[in-house]
Amino acid sequence: MALMQIAEPGMTADPHQRRLAIGIDLGTTHSLVATVQSAVPTILQDHEGHYLLPSVVRYLANGEVTVGYAAVAAAGQDPHNTIASVKRFMGRGHEEVQTLAGHLPYDLIPGEGMLRLRTRAGDKSPVEVSAEILRKLKALAVESLGGEPEGAVITVPAYFDEAQRQATKDAARLAGLNVLRLLAEPTAAAVAYGLDKKSEGLFAIYDLGGGTFDISILRLQAGVFEVLATAGDTALGGDDMDHVIAEWVMGEVGTAVEDPLWRRQVLQHARNAKEALTVQQTVELPLTLPDGSSRTLSLSRNQLETLIQPVIQRTLPACRRALRDAGLKIEALDGVVLVGGATRVPALRSFVGEFFQQTPLTDMDPDQVVALGAAIQADALVGNQREDLLLMDVLPLSLGLETMGGLVEKIIPRNTPIPVARAQEFTTFKDGQTAMAIHVLQGERDLVQDSRSLARFSLRGIPPMVAGAARIRVTFQVDADGLLTVTAEETSTGVRSEVVVKPSFGLGDDEIAKMLQDSFVHGAEDVASRRLYEARVEGERVREALQTALASDADLLDAEEQAKLNAASAHLNDCLSKNDADAISKAAEAVEAAAEPLVQRRMDNALRRAIAGRSIDDLGD
Amino acid sequence: MSAQCVQCGAELDVPPALCASCGAIQPFRPELSLFGVVGMAECYDLNPQLLRDQVLKLQKGLHPDRFANAEPASRRASLEWSTRLNEALAVLRDPLRRADYLLKRQGVDALGEQVKVADPELLMTQMIYRERLEDLVRAHDLTALDTLRQEVEAAATKAVDKLRMLLESLPCNQPDAAGSALRELQFLDKLLGEIDRSEESLQNA
Repeated sequence: MALMQIAEPGMTADPHQRRLAIGIDLGTTHSLVATVQSAVPTILQDHEGHYLLPSVVRYLANGEVTVGYAAVAAAGQDPHNTIASVKRFMGRGHEEVQTLAGHLPYDLIPGEGMLRLRTRAGDKSPVEVSAEILRKLKALAVESLGGEPEGAVITVPAYFDEAQRQATKDAARLAGLNVLRLLAEPTAAAVAYGLDKKSEGLFAIYDLGGGTFDISILRLQAGVFEVLATAGDTALGGDDMDHVIAEWVMGEVGTAVEDPLWRRQVLQHARNAKEALTVQQTVELPLTLPDGSSRTLSLSRNQLETLIQPVIQRTLPACRRALRDAGLKIEALDGVVLVGGATRVPALRSFVGEFFQQTPLTDMDPDQVVALGAAIQADALVGNQREDLLLMDVLPLSLGLETMGGLVEKIIPRNTPIPVARAQEFTTFKDGQTAMAIHVLQGERDLVQDSRSLARFSLRGIPPMVAGAARIRVTFQVDADGLLTVTAEETSTGVRSEVVVKPSFGLGDDEIAKMLQDSFVHGAEDVASRRLYEARVEGERVREALQTALASDADLLDAEEQAKLNAASAHLNDCLSKNDADAISKAAEAVEAAAEPLVQRRMDNALRRAIAGRSIDDLGD
Repeated sequence: MSAQCVQCGAELDVPPALCASCGAIQPFRPELSLFGVVGMAECYDLNPQLLRDQVLKLQKGLHPDRFANAEPASRRASLEWSTRLNEALAVLRDPLRRADYLLKRQGVDALGEQVKVADPELLMTQMIYRERLEDLVRAHDLTALDTLRQEVEAAATKAVDKLRMLLESLPCNQPDAAGSALRELQFLDKLLGEIDRSEESLQNA
């Protein structure tokens, strides 16, 4: 019989009745993980009390990977193998990344599809790099929660397209997470904010993160969060402010040296300066130039505002479009909520206040609010009661098909509420044609060359007919994550065509399979540390249960039994201080065996007392 | 003909997506009309606010978020019902699409590609509007553009009133007149979209 903690009837039930779920904000510069504990959304902190994890991954020579603050510290010396802001590369091709702001110190491999980064640990896809960040967050969650989460909600910028979203989902899969939902960041923030303040009405969420900008307009009403419109720029963020400051520094100093270490140093100074000027009026930048000499620059808040003004102005078109698409005038808004670290900058706050003609709401920590919202939704989705909450999101970018002449025909317009499906009929143009290719694109432009290629779908197994006779009904279904599936049916015969998907900037199934296999190398280490972790948790539980039992009932044992129990307990303590999972498990079993008589007699006493009408409270006074 | 719950056998309500007795989600019924899926009477003059409230109420029970951890069959059904509900809201709350849907239900496709418009008055109106828009864009006149928008919105309201009259009893017994009014409304809607885009590009210039 196992050593149990005897609880009196009426005492609180086991807290493990709630299912474990986490919300993850996978940010460009920082990531967070949160959960709902005792009905309170809480950000999980690491051993040092940090709740922000820098989204920086470093590949070491010995095959190890460091994620977070340790990696940041090394970024200056090891730029090729220390990947920061990998979110900017998710779902992106090599060509597109060339036009991103600033010079990137990474070794980008040219080629088709999603780009790869050359590191000393091999050629890495942004999906793999992101998976390392997610693994670290998951490990933190497992430790804090004392168990595996049943599911996770991962946030993505609202304006992320299909390729970027799928890449995020793939990264989560690699990290061993069960993704309950991909949630748009502004929607997550609205949920956290709305539930906290019990707000109702029309709200704009202005979310300027490290590398992405989203503006979403939502209606909040009695637990229903309805996105009316969303717009943004997935290549605009606080990082861009750092870059213009860095350019200014380079200009002042007079060096245009293509030295990645120098560049990194300048960027770090730029970021520090930007943050310092939020509270100060001037800041000093002590620089060590490539030639070894020292130079100190001085930057004032006014100068900063002039420098970053173009970056701030770039958020304007999206704000206008979102309002227009929502069919609202600025005056109709009940509030504007600021999200994202970059919104701390005073110049930005006054810009937002001016445009929206009201003081922006800043009472929730702009760094935490997205993760908190994700945790709330994760809690609801995993099965803990939360019937009042309903999130209705939208497709951020129009979905279209390539037609004759390089044109795009829109089949699902932007800001259509999801989930949504649209059917389109096609026919064959050759006699006996049994296959067809469909090219799906995303974006608002009319030409294929100006739109984002999503995927090519091959329809196979069309019954051979006369040209023009086939009626192929192709259904495009966008699910609640904003992801597309395509099915096809020849309606006159009812034959379902096989649909083979070739994503333009995503990973194929076999690539993912290979990555999963590679991760089993790490996996073995993970499994071993999990076993140790579990053995330790059980060992400590047994130790505690024993202490509780002995505190009140040590006298139920005779001298010999006590000696045996003490020896077993001492051995367990010794094992718990070491790292052998098997030894700990065996020691815990030995304690339970030695405690058998104690357990038996405690039970007998409890029963006797219950029958006699006395309660356990009467003992041990 | 009433349907029964696949799980407990109880009789299903209208709409028949969730069993009132045991709460089980039912397989999707693609043959149900948009009105059937929201459980509202089939007519043109419906209250958009009531429609929205009804759709949200149903979504609370059918949305994929309720079935994130359920078995594949339930997840599939939830996706289908939820998608159809969104479609119902989008179509039925828009006077143009609602009219088009009702006419299609009686076999009249007023906005199809095959229809060639032989309405010289409408064509003239369209040309005049388009020219005005072009002139205003060239002149960068945002104020006049707003005035034009208001005019077009007023014309659209009148077209909706006409449709309401023609579609008061269903099936409509003046399908040609209804089709004509529908095509006019469609043109005005498209024009409003073009005014939107013009305003946007003038503002961002």
